[in-house]
Amino acid sequence: MPRMSIKIVGASGQGINSIGALVAKGLKRSGYCVFGYREYPSLIKGGHASYQLDISNERVRSTETKVNVLIALNHHGLELNMEELKERGIVLHVTPGWQFPERHQKLITEQGLRVIFFPVDEVLARLGARTILSNVLLTAFLWSMFDQDVDALKSLVGEKFAKKKDLLELNMRCVDEGYFFVDPGHGKISVPLPPPNEEFSSHLLVTGSQAMGLGAIHAGVRLYAGYPMTPSSPLLSFIADLENMTHMVVKQAEDEITAAQMVSGAMYMGTRALTATSGVGFDLMSETVSLNAMIENPTVFVLAQRPGPATGLPTWTAQGALLQAVNSSTGEFARCVLSVSNSQDAFDLMPVAFNLAEEYQISVIVLTDKQIAEALYTQEPYDLQKAEIRRGNLVTDSEKLKALNSSDRYDPNAEGGISPRWLPGSDAATYCAEAEEHDSMGTMDETAGSIRSQMEKRMRKFHKLKAALPQPRVDVTNHDGNGADWMGERDEIELLVIGWGSTKDVIEDILRSGELRARRIAHLHYTYLWPLRTEMLEKMAKRSKRVVLVEQNYQSQLGMLIRMECGLDIPDKILKYDGRPFFYDELLPSLLMKFADKTKDRRGFVSAATKENNPRGPEPACSSS
Amino acid sequence: MNAIIQTTPPALSEYYSETKCTWCDGCGNYGIWTAVKYALVELNLHPWQVCLCYDVGCHGNGSDKIQGYRFGGLHGRVIPFAAGAKLANMKVPVIAFGGDGATFSEGVGHLIHALRSNYPITFVLHNNANYGLTTGQASSLTLQRQPMNTSPNGIPERTLAIMDFIFSLQPTFVARGFSGDIKLTTRILKAAIQHSGFAFVDMLQACPTYNHFATHEYLLERYFDANTDGHDPSDLQQAKTLASQAHDRIACGILYQREDIPDFYKQLIPRRGVETTCAEEVRKYDVSEYWKGLV
Repeated sequence: MPRMSIKIVGASGQGINSIGALVAKGLKRSGYCVFGYREYPSLIKGGHASYQLDISNERVRSTETKVNVLIALNHHGLELNMEELKERGIVLHVTPGWQFPERHQKLITEQGLRVIFFPVDEVLARLGARTILSNVLLTAFLWSMFDQDVDALKSLVGEKFAKKKDLLELNMRCVDEGYFFVDPGHGKISVPLPPPNEEFSSHLLVTGSQAMGLGAIHAGVRLYAGYPMTPSSPLLSFIADLENMTHMVVKQAEDEITAAQMVSGAMYMGTRALTATSGVGFDLMSETVSLNAMIENPTVFVLAQRPGPATGLPTWTAQGALLQAVNSSTGEFARCVLSVSNSQDAFDLMPVAFNLAEEYQISVIVLTDKQIAEALYTQEPYDLQKAEIRRGNLVTDSEKLKALNSSDRYDPNAEGGISPRWLPGSDAATYCAEAEEHDSMGTMDETAGSIRSQMEKRMRKFHKLKAALPQPRVDVTNHDGNGADWMGERDEIELLVIGWGSTKDVIEDILRSGELRARRIAHLHYTYLWPLRTEMLEKMAKRSKRVVLVEQNYQSQLGMLIRMECGLDIPDKILKYDGRPFFYDELLPSLLMKFADKTKDRRGFVSAATKENNPRGPEPACSSS
Repeated sequence: MNAIIQTTPPALSEYYSETKCTWCDGCGNYGIWTAVKYALVELNLHPWQVCLCYDVGCHGNGSDKIQGYRFGGLHGRVIPFAAGAKLANMKVPVIAFGGDGATFSEGVGHLIHALRSNYPITFVLHNNANYGLTTGQASSLTLQRQPMNTSPNGIPERTLAIMDFIFSLQPTFVARGFSGDIKLTTRILKAAIQHSGFAFVDMLQACPTYNHFATHEYLLERYFDANTDGHDPSDLQQAKTLASQAHDRIACGILYQREDIPDFYKQLIPRRGVETTCAEEVRKYDVSEYWKGLV
């Protein structure tokens, strides 16, 4: 896959995102797939931030650590990011008279880097334009480097300033100045892109949060209550920004407890309602998860992960909340934990989550993370036909309502533990949705027999759900150029890679790389994480020479769940817990190293973290105990 | 309230429950429980038309002693649950009940924002000035230095002046009832349920087992109906004066009401002109309109 990358760095609030967004949109419209990745501190102004675009004419959904072009909006970028350039890379900067330190001068010579100074201040002064327009100058210069048509950029800028006619003319002049700027030292510089692929031009550019918001609205969510917390806040903003079109009830609550309770009340009353939070915010919501289990009230919670403990790293990513989602809150009860992995299933899983919640009358926790929530995806327009709205055993027909008895609501003999549910305001026998242990009509009941039968009723839903959830998805390398055909029933798998959530896309990009394409690799990706199905995993692990877990947490939380559920121990792990996602050119060599290891010790590559986790020394790749 | 009034009025018996009452002899809950049923019947509401939400405490043990769509929740959290329920279906009257422990300690933040938001629900404070169900600990409404369980010397904290607190938040409906006067309490509850915004009802009640300072007799001797004494609920200054009067004579009745401030739902611009309820709007939506700007 031909890929290249550009990275814009500077202070938060300097306009990094506007350059990134404009270039991304322009290139996407020209027929390129772009993948945007942001790093920024938890500040409004200042602090070092970046926006990287990885670009290809094939699907690209990962970020490289080395870039082809670095755009430094201040001198901090020149100090901090020079080592990130590829050979023959381009540095575009705006700092007059910048003297590179010796080590950077050496780097420039050795790597053949091309340094271009764009005299932004001078040009802006000449045009009488404000500092913010430097973004347009630089975008236009980039545009010319990519040999793209200037009119395409002008039409984009025109759209942006359609309502600000007075600013439009100056912006257009900046486009011309930037586009036709030639660095006296280097002459016209060209960074050729591969031939475009028309398919991408009609695609959407969405963040995972926007994808999830669209999915939620599509799924019939009519009330959203939330409390701001990164990285769940962009979902709240997106839904709120659309409220006059969707006519939804949007409530910014006084805290996460309130948001969770309001959503629960709204679901009890019969609408579809959503809330989202992160880490400690979900701690506050967790009592409400338990409440909903007892009253068998369908609810959906989005848990957007960032590194903890405590407030941790607000603007960075992690997969550290899997066990929190699976285990939080008091009592034993059925719940479902899903994880989205990109902009496609961030959309697709919202109707699924609400259907599961209503069909099983349980809470569904949908995991996402900062990486997905804020990454920019080139996304095929969504299929609006395939989702169904399934509301389970919800009784709305007036004749059927009349036939109900109060004791039907929590009938302990209900098939699969799923009893009829009907809504306040329905002309029918009434019941109590009671947080204390109760009998079939919700009357508090502490007799041993009733307690047992209600517990068993509720837990039957867990077993039914486990049997019904899809197995993890298998993706295999195109080993012999004939797709997945090599993987017969008994063929040996050279490497089985297991992951969940946001690792999916980077692993898929890597498995299509020239380095790994010819290997027999299978990638098992978990979307449905609780109840955890392990049959397929066990079967595939037996056929695999090596098995490795890839997770963004310290303990390998999926590995812990797998061991707990089926006894399979997978000692080989690639773990990352520094707030950054797995980068393409970082995970690729880690996976390649698995093949370099020819010894009987099939653990292959052992990261420092894995060593600490595994003091017992060499073990087979997978051992059933 | 917003419910469609039925042509066949309900019978009181529709609210009967098979569950036996387990409150202590002389508990104020009996009176409030009775008045709630009278109020609903007199408002022509059948049990299936109402949503009754209970917090945790002795009053919460009433959730299964009445008919209606009921909810028994977690400590301190009844207000946001009830508000969420109401916003999802404006056609169903929602009444929330909570004790003084839940309302003024664990869940006091919710009360503040409920008043500020003016949610279209009724809130009934079961005020017995202690934590009854956990066996008589002091609440923030217990008198300072009053010996209670876990505080043999009485609590060092000062007692919350709840009416000053409520009035500081610009309420739209404030009433005070007394569990010993069913007629008065029924009248208050009916007005509260019919109020468009957040109706706060302080319901004084005895706790014969643990509250030895504000007993039934104590309240009986001191309470009076301020409305029959000529108090006009639109008079804010007099309302505040009467509300904070709780020693020699305790003013009850509808102390304050204004209908000119729109409730939370009416303040929602996206819901203006929408006739359906959120509960009725669950279906698959075409969202292609919303991604146009993202191409």
